[in-house]
Parts: sequence; structure tokens; C-alpha cells
Amino acid sequence: MAITIEMPKLSDTMEEGVLSAWLVDEGDAVSAGDILAQVETDKATMDLEAFDDGILLKKMIDEGDAVPIGEMIAVLGEEGEDISDLLGDTDGSDDATGDDASSEAEAASAEAASSQPEPASTETEATASPAGDGELAERTPEPVPAPTNASGERVKASPLARRVAQEHDLDLGSVAGTGPNGRIVRSDVEAAIEQREAAPEPTPETAPAPSGDGAPTPQPAPAESVKIDVGYDTEPISQMRKAISRRLAQSKFTAPHFYLTIDVDMAHAASVRAELNERAEAQDRARISYNDLITKACALALREHDYVNASYHADEGEIRLYDDVHVGVAVAIDEGLITPVIRNADQKGLTQIAAETRELAGKARDRELQPEEYEGATFTTSNLGMFGIEEFTAILNPPNAAILAIGGIRDEPVVEDGEIVPGKRMKVTLSCDHRVVDGAVGAQFLDTVRGYLEDPMTMLL
Amino acid sequence: MAELQLREAIRAAMSEEMRRDDKVFLMGEEVAEYNGAYKVSKGMLDEFGPDRVIDTPISELGFAGLGIGAAMNGLRPIIEFMTWNFSFVAFDQVVNNAANIRYMSGGQFGTPIVFRGPNGAAGQLAATHSNSVEAIYANFPGLKVISVSNPDDAKGLLKSAVRDDDPVLFLESELMYGLKGEVSDDEDYTLPIGKARVARTGGDVTIVAHNKSYHLAMNAAEELAKQGYEAEVIDPRTIKPLDIDTIVESVMKTNRLVIVDESNPFTSFASEVSQQVQERAFDYLDAPVARVTAADTPSPYAPNLYEAYMPSVDEAVTACRQVLYADA
Repeated sequence: MAITIEMPKLSDTMEEGVLSAWLVDEGDAVSAGDILAQVETDKATMDLEAFDDGILLKKMIDEGDAVPIGEMIAVLGEEGEDISDLLGDTDGSDDATGDDASSEAEAASAEAASSQPEPASTETEATASPAGDGELAERTPEPVPAPTNASGERVKASPLARRVAQEHDLDLGSVAGTGPNGRIVRSDVEAAIEQREAAPEPTPETAPAPSGDGAPTPQPAPAESVKIDVGYDTEPISQMRKAISRRLAQSKFTAPHFYLTIDVDMAHAASVRAELNERAEAQDRARISYNDLITKACALALREHDYVNASYHADEGEIRLYDDVHVGVAVAIDEGLITPVIRNADQKGLTQIAAETRELAGKARDRELQPEEYEGATFTTSNLGMFGIEEFTAILNPPNAAILAIGGIRDEPVVEDGEIVPGKRMKVTLSCDHRVVDGAVGAQFLDTVRGYLEDPMTMLL
Repeated sequence: MAELQLREAIRAAMSEEMRRDDKVFLMGEEVAEYNGAYKVSKGMLDEFGPDRVIDTPISELGFAGLGIGAAMNGLRPIIEFMTWNFSFVAFDQVVNNAANIRYMSGGQFGTPIVFRGPNGAAGQLAATHSNSVEAIYANFPGLKVISVSNPDDAKGLLKSAVRDDDPVLFLESELMYGLKGEVSDDEDYTLPIGKARVARTGGDVTIVAHNKSYHLAMNAAEELAKQGYEAEVIDPRTIKPLDIDTIVESVMKTNRLVIVDESNPFTSFASEVSQQVQERAFDYLDAPVARVTAADTPSPYAPNLYEAYMPSVDEAVTACRQVLYADA
């Protein structure tokens, strides 16, 4: 009994996958647990494992093909097994396209359609004589997707109006319905067709005719903007870019963002970090970055501010206040960005945070992150300080209620006790989902974060 | 041609068939000595005698079964129900025996029998005497159901029913027994069972209506004509087998359909026509199919409620205007 292999759901947000590479060929024997192929999801490239033993009888898609979750991508079975029923019509067309040019009866139509001769007899015209018994019932017109209007709602139209519109190649989405509930009826379609036919053909732009007396006439401004050819290359939108686009658009358009910026004195943090790293090196442990300090500070602050470690779920009618603190750290990679998660960051030491962040960032760049390594963040940070960015605002990483955008550490003169002295300052900006986090709540959280960073020893308490 | 009342046309059909074929006989309550509760069989006892025009006790189950047995044995009975309301006590005989015997006997026995009588509401007769039975009986395979609207159709179709080798239910109307019309006096005049009549041609909306409702539909069509809309009126004449082709052809022309049917609406003849039309002419409909029927309640006795219960010309006109989007 042949088994079909379908595109698996490899992440929570995955909707389709690209088969990036086949690792077995048709005819190869595979055992349960063998890796059949690699699949690029919106987050990572993952292995597609066989769950059964058998012969790979058929690959349904080629490398580079994108298919939705659940679509058949291969068939596994016994040697020589007949799988034509699983393949459906996809193979049967070979017979139809065979060259039957010898048949003179078909020669005429074949001439007209030089590319692909099609069996002409199967089509039944809607205009055929009416009322033949059974003829109507057997006529199966091609299914046409229900048209939608500009706002994406299903167009309401009578069946006759749909048919007339289809015959005249008219988009029902552009027709206003006068029937009950805005239903488009035949008269509406006929009016639209009439209007279309009455409308003047778009005329090619012509130079204005010189006026008879030769007097200079002021040139009217061109009605249409001048078209300038701009050259471009195209590239397909990757799964990751699609995911970024979808999730961040959803976030920015549904979560009302507001932003709080605070300036943090990092002088003390710099000296503590230098001291800690001396010891870490001595013990052969991971060096601690400023970012690791911030991760830890945020994790501890989140413990004290429940509504920042939270998310808003309109459909379920609830706000979730998370038991644990999982900090996502945005990592830029070639094709976009991904946020590996430091789980229970509030309970981890700085060197552990440092080691984990480094390992996960490496895997992210190699696109080897597993779903459990990038899903489930309750808060996110994004750091562009290394690029000299002083401050910026980040888009919330849904469903998180807040994200911290971290700027670079600046050496600048500061006033201390009435004296101008050299200082180290860093600006961080918290983006908040106002459905969960109010201004004062966000400000108090930032104040706590600043407290930890300005006196890092408190993080050890 | 002669101008006859509906009751006279029915009588003519029965008498002619009884003269033509001595296997045909009439049986029912008050059909003989009293000349028929509605005088349909007036004079028939005198002509054919008590062996062929037979009065029965008030026992519909009994005489319906007697008729079916006679039919199985080669006679061609016409069983009169004083009204179709009373057929319910003979329900088992009609739907289990008459309808099924040919099938159950593997074709060894047929039941060439006609059950006939007035159907539907007829004024203030109240709930138990105002039932419309065409939809329930037409639901059973094996039964043909005819419902006539005029004397000529009554004669031609009743003669065909008597000559048919299977059970035929023939539905008349108390209120129409006095209705006059030109009737063929040809003694071999028959009309085919299962053929609708296009009674009025028009291009704007199709109205399907049978029996009394047909006259209501014609009145609605006249009113619509004054308003500038031409209705095509189709009298199906036979409920089953239904001449759906004629209806579909008309709907493909007008793109709109209203069915007037004085039955209760649920699982009615109107529902069936509507369903078959959408199966076969969906792409030709410019509006939902509309029905004008009795209310889904028992028939009231109070005259004001009865008037509200029954379909009216106004309702039919309104339904037509609705599918025409005339008031949109």
C-alpha cells in the first residue's frame, strides 16, 4: 500500500514550505528515520524525515518548488507498485498530448491552436439549444471563483448576472448592485457593459495640433505623469521575507504602538563588564557582551512588571500574563532576521546567557535553528548599536506586548556634580502595545531596567 | 365543442369511458342515489345502473381497498372521495397498496384505478376539511397526481387517467365545479398526462400555478400587464410526472419564477418546482425563486383569518414585482 508524504507543518507560523533539496532519488529504498529532503520554512531549513520504510516511487515536486502544508510531495511504496490512483490526472495527460496529427478531422483545430491540440468535443457551449432533456443537468461549467469587491467582500450577484458578466469578461467587483442587499442583477451588468462600450478608447498621446495662427499656445500640463523606464532586477520573495512581512504588518496594523526612550549611564556597566570578562576568560567561560547585560536586566525587570511580560489576545478575549520570562534576541542574518529565545533568562547567569546567545546566533546564521529555539518569546530585544545607531524604534514581535530597541554606547561629556566629565551613555527605546502596556507601566519597567544597568551588581542580588 | 361546467366535464369523461369500456365503474359515498355530493355523477345511476355506480358506506379505507382489489383483478374502478381530506383514512390503501403492488408483485399485478375528488381549501370549512394533498401523495413513487384548473383539461386528463394502467390521483375543486368552459365533445378526446400548458405568454416573469391558484395567477398576470410587465403563466396540470422542461424553458426566457400554490409551504409542490428549476436553470436565474402559498398553519375558520391564510392576487403581484426588482 503506497503512502503519500505531505508537506509537514514545521513551525507555528509556517503556511507553505520550499523543498530546497531532495536527498534521495526515485527508486531509492528508504527506512523510517532517513532524511528524504530539506525544507525551507519561514524560519529555518529543516530536515524532512521518513516515517515508514519503502521505495521512493515518485517525487511530486521539484527542488525550489513552494507548496502549502498538507500538499503531497512524494509517494512511498513497494517496488513496482501501481500508484496511478494517487497521482490522479497529473500523468494521464500524456495520452491526450500525443501527436494524433494523422487524424484529418482534427487538423483544422490543431492548426488554430498550434501549441497544444486539445480535445475540442468536450466543450459545450452555453448558447446551445435550450431545454434538451438532461442536457442542462449534464452541462458542467468550469467553476469560477466568486468575485470580490474592492474591500475583499464576496460580491452578491444573481446567477444570471454572473453568467452575463463572465460572457462579457466583466469584473463583477466593479459593478454596483441595485438589488436587495446590493445584489448585482442582470440589468446592472448590462448597464456596466453599455457604459464600458460607450467609454472612449484610450487614445495614444499625441502632440497638440499647432494652432492655426501660429501664436504660441501655453502647453497644458500633461494629465498623466511622465513614464520613465526604471530598470530593475527581480528576485522571488523568500519564505522568511514573507513571514517577516506578514507578521510585522499584522503587528504594526493591529497593535497600537507607543514609544518610550530612556538614556542609561553605562559607565559603571562598562567597568563591571571588563572585570567580569577578565574572570570569565580566566575560567575559560564565554565573554559577556553589553547585550547580555541588557538581556539579564530586562529579564529581571520583567519579573517585576507583569504587564510587560504579557500579550493581548482579542479573539480569546484575554490578556496573558506569562509565568516565565523568555527573552527573544533579534539576530540579523543574510535573508532577514530571526529571534532566538533565551529561556528563563531571569534564572540564568550572565555567562550562560552569553554562551547561549552566541550559540543560537550562530545556528540562526547557518539557518539551523529548530522551532523550539525561536518560538515562545515573551519579550524581545533588538540591538543596532554596533552599527552606530544612536536610537531607533522597533516593531513589536507578536504577540509580545513590548520590545526594546537598543542603541549604541556613546562616549560623551556629561555633567556630574556640576562638573563636565567623560561619560558613557546608551539610549534604549521601548515599543509598547498600548492594549496591554500603559505609559506609566512602560516607564516604570524602563526605570527598573536602567537601575539594573547603572548598577549591575544589583543583578547579582 | 360545448360549454360545460367542470362537474359536467368530469361526468362526461366518466360516462364516455364507462360506455367505451364495461370494466370501468364508479364507487363512492353518495355517488348513486344522491347523484353525487356535488352532483358530479348526476344521472349516472340511471344510465349505468347500481352494478356500475355504487354507493358505499362511510368507510374510505374499505372501499378504497375494494377498488384496489377490483383493479388487481382486471376492472378499472373510479373511486370518488367526497373530498381528499377523507382519503387520509384510506391512506394505507392508497400509498402502500395502490402505489406499490406493481413493484411488490414483480409486475404481475397492476392497479388501473383512479381516485378522484375535490382538493384544497374551499371557504370556511376549517382545518380538517381544507387540506391540500398533492405534495404528500406525489412524494410516493408509483402514484400519478393530476390537478386540473378547467373543464376541458378535466375531461381530457380524466379520460387518460381511466385508460392508464397505473393508479392516478385526480384532484378537483369544490369551488370550481360550477366553472364553465369550452370542452371538446370528441368521445376519444384525451390529453397526455405529464404535459404542462403555457396558458399565457410573456417575457418578464414565469408564474407556475395549478388548480384554483392558476386562476389567481392569471388575475395577477392581468394586473402586472397594467403595470407594464408581461407574465408567462404555466399550468402544470400534472403534478407528477412533472413537465419540468416546459417550466425550465420559460424560466430560461424570463429569468424569474414565482410559484403560486395554495398548499401549505413546507415540502410543497412549490418547493419541488423551485428545487428542480435551480438544479436545471441556476445560471439563468436573475432573482431567487419566490413562492406564494398558504400560511404554514392549519386553515382558519374565521373569515378574516382565512383570507389572510390563503394566497391572494396581491401577494402574487408583490412576489412578481419582487423578483422583477420592480421596487428595488
